[in-house]
Amino acid sequence: MADTALVTLTLLFVAAAAGAAVLTRDPARQAVVLSLLGLGLALLFTVLQAPDVGLSQLGVGAAVTPLMILLTVRKVRRRRKRDG
Amino acid sequence: MNGWLVAAAVLTAGGLGPCLWAGSRGTAGRRVAAQNMATLLLCLDFLLLAQGYGRPSYVDLALVTCVLGPAGTLVFVRLLAEELHDEPEGGPPGARLLTPVTLVATPATVLPLCVATGPGRAMAKLLVIGVLLGLGATVTTRALRHG
Repeated sequence: MADTALVTLTLLFVAAAAGAAVLTRDPARQAVVLSLLGLGLALLFTVLQAPDVGLSQLGVGAAVTPLMILLTVRKVRRRRKRDG
Repeated sequence: MNGWLVAAAVLTAGGLGPCLWAGSRGTAGRRVAAQNMATLLLCLDFLLLAQGYGRPSYVDLALVTCVLGPAGTLVFVRLLAEELHDEPEGGPPGARLLTPVTLVATPATVLPLCVATGPGRAMAKLLVIGVLLGLGATVTTRALRHG
């Protein structure tokens, strides 16, 4: 029973975070929401008794993906400033 | 249904939910503060889940979160420096909440868990996580306030 409630709650969180990530237009701010989505997915995997998957998701989703997005945004903005 | 899992569910609904709400609207500073708060609450959530499921190895997830969370926030602060510069004096509104929440929520979670696990290596691990959470909150609050 507790499991079902936890899984449902976490699934709702992940769905809400994914929706928010899609609806955010600015890529830099989207990276923050994406990081929250990564944290939610890590929690979901743990609740589903797959902590090893959650562990890798934590590293990738919470730190690496936002870092790569932010670095890309920065580079594109700099290039645009230099060219324009 | 066990009490630890109920606490984890309450923390997920009442803690992570509002963090998502704050993180998906408002200024960049507020979003980063909400993301940082979410990592803190997620770490505590993992601790409660580990105890609730009776699997001490799940504590590793909390250990990784309490190290990666502040690191992620520092990445955001560094790369969103231009946008964070426009924040009012004293940093974004959420940044002020972080230290009090850490001071209340971390002992409120870690101490009962210590009592439940009893003395030993597991308890030392819990205490290390608590200290790391405190340090992380101090570092990220300072970074958010001063850019």
